[in-house]
Amino acid sequence: MVVMPDQSEEATARIKAIYIYNFTKYIEWPESYKEGNFVIGFLGSNSALLSKLSEIATKKVGSQNIEIRNITNVQNADKFNIIYILSDNSAQLSEVLSKVKGKSTLIVTDKPGLAKQGAGINFVVVENKQKIELNKVNIEKYKLKVASTLVDMALPVN
Amino acid sequence: MKQLVKIRTFILGLLLSIAVVSTAQTEKVAAAYAFLKQNNLDSAKAYIDAAIVNPQTANDAEAWYYRGFIYKSIYNTNEKGKMHSAARLESLNSFKKSLSLDNANEYFTDNIGGLKYLANTFHNDAAESLDIFDYKTAIELFSKSQECFKIIDPSPEANQEKEIEFNLALGSVYYSIIESSKKDSAKTYKFLNLAKTIYSKVLSLDPNNISANYQMGILYYNQAVNLVLAQDIDADLVEFTRVIDNSTKLFKESLPFMEKAYSLAPTRIETLQGLTGIYWSLNEPEKSNIYKQKLAEIRGFKVGDKVQWKESSIIKTGIITGLVDANECMVKEDGKEKSKSLNLSILTKVNE
Repeated sequence: MVVMPDQSEEATARIKAIYIYNFTKYIEWPESYKEGNFVIGFLGSNSALLSKLSEIATKKVGSQNIEIRNITNVQNADKFNIIYILSDNSAQLSEVLSKVKGKSTLIVTDKPGLAKQGAGINFVVVENKQKIELNKVNIEKYKLKVASTLVDMALPVN
Repeated sequence: MKQLVKIRTFILGLLLSIAVVSTAQTEKVAAAYAFLKQNNLDSAKAYIDAAIVNPQTANDAEAWYYRGFIYKSIYNTNEKGKMHSAARLESLNSFKKSLSLDNANEYFTDNIGGLKYLANTFHNDAAESLDIFDYKTAIELFSKSQECFKIIDPSPEANQEKEIEFNLALGSVYYSIIESSKKDSAKTYKFLNLAKTIYSKVLSLDPNNISANYQMGILYYNQAVNLVLAQDIDADLVEFTRVIDNSTKLFKESLPFMEKAYSLAPTRIETLQGLTGIYWSLNEPEKSNIYKQKLAEIRGFKVGDKVQWKESSIIKTGIITGLVDANECMVKEDGKEKSKSLNLSILTKVNE
């Protein structure tokens, strides 16, 4: 009997981790965010995803080391390059948005409709496939520049 | 008159010599048999080999039957355990030849008896050789056993069970090769296709075969998962979207096989785990949770159950608050949540 290893959660987590690392290649942060570590915060608990995000920490963004932080209290979320809000924590989006106002943080969410509610990039499922939708206005409002390649491959937000 | 006598003498001489030659050839068969009786297999072989190349006995069903029997005895005495025994093949060919010549069915029962014996030795040797090193030998031997069994009973149903059993085992061997050669993508691809072909063959014989449906589902599932897991974390995003497309396609191909296996055996744990994983990978968490819940119920657990487990020799109790995946749940103990394995040897239900 061939037994299936339970790798489905690992695979779906890897898809999101690859997307997130790619965001660092196609988005440009202002100079002030190119100093120190490149900080990616995530809000929520998902051990498979945390494990995959930790792999990103072995990479660099330009000369910056990548640091992965689990955000336990939004009020302490100061200078983040990216904040990823997991679907179970979607209700905290407005709290995060008010916290990062005037900063240069890319907000990534994981629930349908959130790109219209302030997220720059939102993970969505289309025909069983993991896709992203991108709200260019929401990204540029945080003084971030997004490459046309990423815009073209993302689903537009009307 | 003298001339007539000469002719008569010539004809008589000719007839006599024909009779002598013919008797000599028949005697070779008889001698071979006599040597066989004495267990002098070398001499028996020499006489019977001479008999079957001579035109007088080359088409004699009896000679070929004896040849089959003699070579079978040689195999038994000298070559038993040799997977590529030449004597066994000679024996098989001789019994077959005898059957083809035996219009009166005089040696039918004897030939079939010989073939039955050979079929079983081929079959047993095929089973013995079936591993990741000797699977090619196993395939050859199994094919020979099938050749024999199909002569013994040509009805398709007669050999179907053996064919299914062997192919399922062969599929498992291919799967082991795939697992042990993950870094060699060409080899993995080759054996994936071989395994799919084998399971398709089983399903063509028995569409309701639970194992073949399950294994087919797992092959596609693993191929899809491994495709994603093989990607570097800094994979190019444009290229990566193609990988997602391909893996989704494979997950979708996996699904009907796993659903069929589930419909045939709804309480089989492996199948429920399979459906949990496939639906999760197809980004359908609600459906994944349905099978996760069924799995937990089969294991005797559900959300809200009071459970106990042993921690450093101390019995602890808690309440199941959620099911994480097919093998794990969340348990609340003294106000704190922790994950626990759904393994019955670790977690037991407390009856209240």
